[in-house]
Amino acid sequence: MLNGFSFGSYYPGDSFVHKMDPRAKLTFGFIFIITTLCAGHFVALGGIAAFVVLFYIASRIPFKQCLQSVAPLMAIVLVASLLNLFMVDEGETLFQLGIIKITQGGVYQCLFIAARVTLIMLTTSLITLTTTTLNLSEALEAMLMPFSRFGLPAHELGMIMGIALRFLPQFMEEFACTYHAQMSRGAGLSSSPVKGLRMITSMIIPLFTSAFRHAETLSFAMDARCYHGHVGRTRLHPLAFGWRDATSIGVVAILIAVVVCLNTFVTAPVF
Amino acid sequence: MTTIAIDIHDVHFTYDGESFVLNGLNASIKPGEFVCILGGNGSGKSTLAKHLNALLLPDKGTVSVCGNDTRDESLMYLIRSTAGMVFQNPDDQIVTSVVEDDVAFGPENLGISTPDIALRVKDALAQVGLMGYESHETNALSGGQKQRVAIAGVLAMHPEILVLDEASSMLDPRGRKGLMRVCRELNEAGMTIIMITHFMEEASCASRVIVMEKGHIMADGTPEQVLSQNSLLDGLNLEVPFAAKLSKDLQDAGIDIPTCVSEESLARALSPLLTHVDQNASSEKTLAAAGSAQSEANQNQAAPDLAQVLPQADPLILFDHVSYTYDSAAAKKAQKKHKKRKPAETPTAERAAWGRDPEAVWALSDISLSINKGEFFGLAGHTGSGKSTLIQHMNGLMKPTCGNVLVKGMDLSDKKSLAAIRSSVGLVFQYPENQLFAETVEADVAFGPRNLGLSEDEVRQRVAQSLARVGLDVDEIGSRSPFELSGGQQRRVAFAGVLAMEPDVLILDEPVAGLDPAARRDFLQLIARLHQDGLTVVMVSHNMDDLAAYCSRIAVLNDGSLFLQGTPEEVFLKDEAIKSVGLGLPAPQRVAHLINQQGCALPVDRLYDETSLVEAIVRIRHA
Repeated sequence: MLNGFSFGSYYPGDSFVHKMDPRAKLTFGFIFIITTLCAGHFVALGGIAAFVVLFYIASRIPFKQCLQSVAPLMAIVLVASLLNLFMVDEGETLFQLGIIKITQGGVYQCLFIAARVTLIMLTTSLITLTTTTLNLSEALEAMLMPFSRFGLPAHELGMIMGIALRFLPQFMEEFACTYHAQMSRGAGLSSSPVKGLRMITSMIIPLFTSAFRHAETLSFAMDARCYHGHVGRTRLHPLAFGWRDATSIGVVAILIAVVVCLNTFVTAPVF
Repeated sequence: MTTIAIDIHDVHFTYDGESFVLNGLNASIKPGEFVCILGGNGSGKSTLAKHLNALLLPDKGTVSVCGNDTRDESLMYLIRSTAGMVFQNPDDQIVTSVVEDDVAFGPENLGISTPDIALRVKDALAQVGLMGYESHETNALSGGQKQRVAIAGVLAMHPEILVLDEASSMLDPRGRKGLMRVCRELNEAGMTIIMITHFMEEASCASRVIVMEKGHIMADGTPEQVLSQNSLLDGLNLEVPFAAKLSKDLQDAGIDIPTCVSEESLARALSPLLTHVDQNASSEKTLAAAGSAQSEANQNQAAPDLAQVLPQADPLILFDHVSYTYDSAAAKKAQKKHKKRKPAETPTAERAAWGRDPEAVWALSDISLSINKGEFFGLAGHTGSGKSTLIQHMNGLMKPTCGNVLVKGMDLSDKKSLAAIRSSVGLVFQYPENQLFAETVEADVAFGPRNLGLSEDEVRQRVAQSLARVGLDVDEIGSRSPFELSGGQQRRVAFAGVLAMEPDVLILDEPVAGLDPAARRDFLQLIARLHQDGLTVVMVSHNMDDLAAYCSRIAVLNDGSLFLQGTPEEVFLKDEAIKSVGLGLPAPQRVAHLINQQGCALPVDRLYDETSLVEAIVRIRHA
């Protein structure tokens, strides 16, 4: 049941992108998404696509892997683009059946949105493909740290996320075991709603009790290893910016410049 | 360095303010000692462990670690890094998803500099024999490996004392051995080890044994002094090591030997008293005597089993060339191949079909076995050998990728027969108490019968009956919450929940895992009674003594294949084969081998139990 389960679909490697600081990756990913949203036409999107491809090449992730990680999200792309296909009413009518009307502008928008959302998907999955969940949660913690002076428990949030990720596969396994055990006691044999409800409680309650049991010992175990919050805590792998991040700043700056230029000097088609 | 590692002085502790879990405890432990603390459930040994690194503070009295009082809050982190602690459940103490980050967790908290942490992590992993595991995911490790990661996490804080709180109780024999080896190596390197356990083999390796009961120390001394006190240990719900038990039996039989704690020393002590095998075969008399004893014993043992051993007897569960893979793509491929090749099909060709597929991981491969009505069938094999997968095929939770499973002649792939099979095959998972959920014991046990759609009257009757069968009274605990009960009682309730389905076959996955010796004994007797009452029992166990004592037939799995199958005698006489798959022999047989290796004329071509071993030894002693 659990085979093939990989959370965040991390693809191990030691490429340029893998070795970038996760904080830099998150920031750049954010900038990529903003620029993608700002791009007004296909030419500008093409410019961004070139940069995305560049980073994918630098990450040395096989094309197949990249497709696999984006494929499940294609439903979103499809829905978003189809909505535009039918909703946008601009330019020449290409097809009409009752209230359903497809226009030239609609087709353009449909394709444009599809390309835009796909680009965003590719960007985000590049981050998850090259960054371990642990690094991601650390980056998030570090980026939230400035807000801790306003009372945001940044370190605790990071710790919670880390522990949740650590226990997720464990709970999946335990849930599978409980499921099998209750099935052996005849759960799921009938389809009446009362029994259905009882079946759900019979699987959820053990999950909760086990979570409490784990939490109790885990807190002892963390205490025993001198855990006392982030004050005075050091890191085995401290996050550090390096030349890769500096290079990427340059690349991203060029990207922004290119997109601004293309947006200004090339005009979008009008219908 | 201080001359006392841990000093416990008149310690009292209570959780609820009424009953004292620790009641005026005194002990002192010197640096470099290897101390085992023994005690039944509820003896206060885990509570004591938590006092050793300031996780709990005494209500009265003092605990000092290397001269530092645990009540001094400013010393708390110093004490916790001096006395490192490893807990029982490997899954509860690993904090992060990656091995090296988890080992680094302690030093990170201590504020050690980054290059230093990296060094400590590397050293600690080397000390527990896990070099190269730095970037492994903690979740994918075995239980034994997880415990070693936990030890490495403690070692990285550079402690002087290592406290293990029942750290081996959830491991299989192989994991336990690895853990023990690591502890011994650390101890030889100067680490003070305090091991809380209820495994006697572990205690006999220690340099000192402390026995606890109701918050007091009942005995304290070398393993030889403490573990030979049969009557004391029996009274405390503990088990006497087999070597000590056997020495006692032999003493009663008139053989003059000291009470030995380790099996090796017992064999050595016996050697001069017994007749040795002569090179020029002059000891025909003894051999003949032993031989006749053997055939006599064989007849005694074989006669009652014969009817059950015959495979044609009455197969209740039948596995016909069953293979299973978790890899669904490979499964499809295999099924396709299987169908195509259906004409000219031979077992060997079939084996080649999956044997050649290197990508597919087969959890089970080509298993054929039958379990007959009334049998007590044992399943052995180390962790990951496919035992759990196999038993989940017995009630249709898993469907074979290739081959067929028939229960009472019904094919499991037939959906209609599934309901009937689920109720006639009761499956009790490992740690079944983890699956309790209802508000009352009664409601929990009634879950199964209600799912079968029985009338309320009948449900009530079945609940009362099944609780009675596990030795509980419905009037007494029926309306209590299952979560209030003790661990042993919870497990009984979970058993009752399966028995309430009124199955013909009871399948038990490690039914006594994690219990203390007294509870183990009670549970095994309970299972034997259920078997006598007519239930067919299939028991998965790591404990070869239990398998030898209770089972009429045993199957040994290795890497998903059936490795050995037969009566306990047939299986355990193949001692080399058994050892090659990482399993051991039952204790009497192990001792017989040791005595035989001393050159004594004790034949090892038959399976001994405690009584027959004593008889055989008496027979070959010097005139």
